Amino acid sequence: MKRAGQVFRKNLNFIIVLICVLLFAFASSVFAADIGNCLLCHKYPGISRVDENGDLKLFYVNEDIFNNSVHAKVNCEGCHTDIKKVPHDPAKKVDCLIECHIMEPSTEKKFSHKDADFFLANSVHSKKEKDGNPKKFAEDMPTCKDCHDNPLYRPLSFFKKVRYGVSEASLGRCRVCHKKDEFIYRFYNHVTTRLHKSRNPLNIAEVCARCHNDPEIVARHNLSTKAVYSYGETFHGKAARFLDERIPDCLDCHVRQGESVHQMMSHEDPLSSTYKDNRSNICTNMDCHPSASPKFATYSVHAEFNKTQSPVQYYFTFFFIVLTGGTLLPLMGIIFLDCIRRLFPHAVIKRRK
Amino acid sequence: MEKTPAIKIKNGTRYFYRFTVNQRIQHVILAWSVVTLVLTGMPLKFPDTSWAPYLYSLFGGIHAAPVIHKVFGAILLALFVYHIVYLVYVIYKYQVLPLKQKERLTTGKVLKLIANQPLVPNLKDAKDIRDLMKYLLYMTRKRPDGAKYTWKEKFDYWAPFWGMVIIGLSGLVMWNKELATMIFPGELINFSLIAHSDEALLAALFLFIWHWYNAHFSEAVFPMGTAFITGYLPEALMVEEHYEDYVEIMTKAGLADEILPPHGMHAVASEEGGQA
Repeated sequence: MKRAGQVFRKNLNFIIVLICVLLFAFASSVFAADIGNCLLCHKYPGISRVDENGDLKLFYVNEDIFNNSVHAKVNCEGCHTDIKKVPHDPAKKVDCLIECHIMEPSTEKKFSHKDADFFLANSVHSKKEKDGNPKKFAEDMPTCKDCHDNPLYRPLSFFKKVRYGVSEASLGRCRVCHKKDEFIYRFYNHVTTRLHKSRNPLNIAEVCARCHNDPEIVARHNLSTKAVYSYGETFHGKAARFLDERIPDCLDCHVRQGESVHQMMSHEDPLSSTYKDNRSNICTNMDCHPSASPKFATYSVHAEFNKTQSPVQYYFTFFFIVLTGGTLLPLMGIIFLDCIRRLFPHAVIKRRK
Repeated sequence: MEKTPAIKIKNGTRYFYRFTVNQRIQHVILAWSVVTLVLTGMPLKFPDTSWAPYLYSLFGGIHAAPVIHKVFGAILLALFVYHIVYLVYVIYKYQVLPLKQKERLTTGKVLKLIANQPLVPNLKDAKDIRDLMKYLLYMTRKRPDGAKYTWKEKFDYWAPFWGMVIIGLSGLVMWNKELATMIFPGELINFSLIAHSDEALLAALFLFIWHWYNAHFSEAVFPMGTAFITGYLPEALMVEEHYEDYVEIMTKAGLADEILPPHGMHAVASEEGGQA
């Protein structure tokens, strides 16, 4: 009986843990931002429509995912401002630059992404030239949604753990002063997500690749490289492919330290981090190669196997290709002949006398 | 009795001594580190392939595999340095010193001695390749009479030799990139990466196709050659690959009467005997 009691107590512990886990799993749904009750319809996975162009559009909103995203606190109407009643007419595309109802706590002004747009307008990705005239192929230049979707929180964990995610142990310390769990979760998530990038290096590179690996766009804008392809040929790019979080991605080199990624400059601009004279500052950054000399930065990060872009490296690689083929093909030929010869060990072609 | 007699008989087969314990240990370290280096290096050369992430995870992924790669790279480089020292020591002690005691040493004599080392390519190799092609193309029944080391083995020796210089140097540059670019321009890292990875691919394919075929997978040796473990090669393979050396050893051992006919000639001899 004693044993049975022990087993039950063991199981009881397990059940309590299970209940706690389930409570945490469902805790997110407590924070729903669905004031307009939009999920009444949009919770159904099949909700969709064929639009005027014949494209199928899905309107399903996964509440759990949305509530773990950085916009979870924004109501649907906060972005979809044209929707006033339910059911509604076809909605307009969301304008990321509107002022939403959230207050920015440091200035107590209504929050907006307008600053990002201002930075972007003064960056290499601007639709206008420096003199104010529209650029050639201005339509290729990215707008908000070309690079961003609604990212999920990606919190770092700090409490003696290396696991990513919300650290329950850290939350315990928040609860000493802050009483509302919703507030604690959101602040923890917000702050720790912002302490690093909300995407890993591979994802960042993939975002840039949408345009910078597109051969047509690369040709149209006279870019010297398919940037993400050539990045992928370096150790940095390869490590990113194996999901290394600590390896530099596009933004680490192309954005000046401490500035917004929207302020990216052309490498011809003396203010740019990638300007010839500034490059060594990137590499010799304390977090990267602090002991490197300025010469280190003359490494061609975006060299391609391309006769016009990097002729010396092209012929150097070509030499090894020829060497490999020239060595292996004859030897493999001998192996092939040897295999056949062993089938007919005594055969010989006799010459007529 | 000598510990390692030139000819050993086991289960009625003659075995011929070819590799010393020292050489065999060197070879095992070489093989072990090369395979590990290939397994930890190739996923990085082909990161987009389907197998790369799995193979890489086997070695601890992007955080651990590069460390393993460097450790085995260092082992291989240490082996290379040891091999050079060993080579110089052996040649000096067993060849140069006796020569010195016998007669006056001149540069010409030493150079001649080096040129006559069994692994140095020579005219006979060219002749053997020609004769092998004749054999493979059914123009003759006779394989070339191989010396102690055939041209295939010389290839097996010198290809990794050159490979280790190229891969080792470029690997050291990439490992100590900050130090290397104190002196050389940053583009040296670009060239090092190309040389390291392309030469490594060549070396891996060369070893895993050519060397493994000749040493293990060829019909004559399959499923595995054992000389790299035991140091001894069976008589049949001696006859097939090293006939010249075989005849010499047999004659020296006073077994000239028991020398087998060259590979392929046995059948011919009996055929002709039958006709007569």
